[in-house]
Amino acid sequence: MKHLKIIIPSLLIMLCFTLPAAAQNQPLKLELNYNYSMPTGHFKNDIVSNNSPRGFMGSLMYPFSAQWSAGLAYGFQDYYQKYSRALYHLSNSQDISAVLSNSIQETPILLKAKYFPAVKSFLKPYLSLAAGGNIIDYKQYYGEFGSSQSNFGFRAEGGLGVLIPFKKTGTSGLNIGATYDYAPYHKNGFTDLNSINLQAGIELQLR
Amino acid sequence: MHFVANKLKKYFMKRISASLTALVLCSVVYTGCTKDPVSNLTEEESRIYITDHDSAVNFSNYSTYSISDSVVVVDNGNANHESNAVDQAYITAVKKYMNNAGYTLVSKSDNPDLGVDVTHIINTSTGVISYGDYWDYYGGYWDPYYWGYPDYSYYVPYGYSVYQVKEGALSVDILDLKNAAKNNNINVIWTGLIRGSGILNANVADSQVKALFDQSSYLHK
Repeated sequence: MKHLKIIIPSLLIMLCFTLPAAAQNQPLKLELNYNYSMPTGHFKNDIVSNNSPRGFMGSLMYPFSAQWSAGLAYGFQDYYQKYSRALYHLSNSQDISAVLSNSIQETPILLKAKYFPAVKSFLKPYLSLAAGGNIIDYKQYYGEFGSSQSNFGFRAEGGLGVLIPFKKTGTSGLNIGATYDYAPYHKNGFTDLNSINLQAGIELQLR
Repeated sequence: MHFVANKLKKYFMKRISASLTALVLCSVVYTGCTKDPVSNLTEEESRIYITDHDSAVNFSNYSTYSISDSVVVVDNGNANHESNAVDQAYITAVKKYMNNAGYTLVSKSDNPDLGVDVTHIINTSTGVISYGDYWDYYGGYWDPYYWGYPDYSYYVPYGYSVYQVKEGALSVDILDLKNAAKNNNINVIWTGLIRGSGILNANVADSQVKALFDQSSYLHK
């Protein structure tokens, strides 16, 4: 699972260098975004309440028209929370006093579609939808003693944002956006890892 | 022809270099983006205190206790009695909190209601032992003869922890000597386990034992 998370983005980047030649008419677009994630609902209340500034999201998109593009998205986000020392009842007779730490790493791999409703305006607002898989590494520590497990789950996201082109007629530019991510996670008594994400980065046309 | 071959070679070399760079970059990003929970803990935060007890026992039915004057060190399956400054600090701390809980320290020859052992577990030969495995060999580490019951076995009525012990740990065990004859066993009625960084230090012994007693509000006369 750990190697997959390095091999998949590497393959995506390799594609960036090889596919443009095969797509002469409509050059591919590469999006690279810094991702700031804010856990919501159950994720925030029961697992990690801290926002995560440690993440990125990238995608390789094929523009079918001026308004529509679709492709593959890939990302990574690290969540971490250390709780103050507390007493946990493990059974009727057993108690443990510990500083509890939760650590979650999510690696989404999604099929993504993007729609630009106003292609003629200088600022190009967009809507996006994506769905696919989510590699989840969950580690829980009592003090320095931890256990870990890896799972693969479903993930879907809806987003909106705006592309600020570098040039008036260009399609490359700065991207600012936000997404809501739905990520069910029915393990360890949990239900989901849903989050709101703020993104900022660049969108480049590959040639 | 030669020109085309050179162009192709350059084209693929460029892409292979880019891919290798991508692989290195991705590895760096993953390592850099992840916060390591263990390195983000202080020594105090690294420690855990596990207590377990026989929930059928009423601890107020006991009045007196005796404690061994040394600590058993279980090191890679071998047990030795030891009594250095750290061991004495732990024994002193256990006496203090047993007294605070209302129990009276008596000599072993005065038929104490409770026996108290302190055990320092270092490692097994495999490097990993479970809390339960530790109990399996308890009779070998703490001979029932010491408490005046040479033909008896130990019995632990409650479940074992699922936590694994990889390195150092310190255990305090309370034995029911009052009812040993009736039970035909020396029942272990309370166990406190201290795990984590920096616990084998005389200066922290008091606070470590205090933590065990603090979370065992039922443990009093």
